[in-house]
Amino acid sequence: MQPVYVVLIINLIIWAGIFGFMFNTDKKISSLSVKLERLNRDKNI
Amino acid sequence: MVNKLLKIGLFLILSLVIIGAFIYAPLAKGLGEFTRVLYFHVPMAWITVVAFFIGAVYSILYLKKKEHKYDLYAETANQLGFLFVVLATVTGSIWAKMSWGSFWNWDPRETSIFILMLVYAAYFALRSAVEQADRRASLAAVYDIIAFVTVPFFVFIVPRIYASLHPDPLINTQGKIHMSPKMQLVFFTSLFSYTMVFVWMLIMRIKMIKLKLKLKEMEQ
Repeated sequence: MQPVYVVLIINLIIWAGIFGFMFNTDKKISSLSVKLERLNRDKNI
Repeated sequence: MVNKLLKIGLFLILSLVIIGAFIYAPLAKGLGEFTRVLYFHVPMAWITVVAFFIGAVYSILYLKKKEHKYDLYAETANQLGFLFVVLATVTGSIWAKMSWGSFWNWDPRETSIFILMLVYAAYFALRSAVEQADRRASLAAVYDIIAFVTVPFFVFIVPRIYASLHPDPLINTQGKIHMSPKMQLVFFTSLFSYTMVFVWMLIMRIKMIKLKLKLKEMEQ
């Protein structure tokens, strides 16, 4: 395999790792925010 | 608004690093085209050290103040450190396959990073083994501080005292950086921008922990 493709693959692995982690965190934050909002609304009622 | 501008700035600077690594930076003698791996593989190892250091600082803070949030911050910093040590190992292993002919050679550098991964895997195992929150936090904090003591040894000392196939450490034994100015520019920009990505990831995780704690407080 051409070395330049190896470097590209390495780059892709790094970005897949970073984006995977970010995506997971973002999903968790969104679900927690929804829960918190619902709880706040219920308390107000 | 400032947050959005910072994100755009980070995106631009990271794009420049990738373009600079492939087009602008010259190749190093002996490494050839594989020089370009340097701009992506080394920042992963650097962030690993930074993340584990932050984890150890939060663990010290937990032991000092006994506030549960610091234990959770330490855990999240160590999770990030573990992610980056895995990325450094995987990318290094692909580099090894292309340069040395096999994915794993038990070279001193590979062995030391493997032991470091085991040390931190044990940290997560310890956390999952203790059910009582206060006890878990105290034990994990003490273990984390001891674990961090091994980090400089495995990352900086072992590769310098044993003969290794791994390319020279960035700052060699004479304390000098053997890189052309163009390479240094791309390299240090890469180091800075990936560190900023890590800071962003850590801030997001801390935000998540704060939300969790707030939710728990409201539910009680």
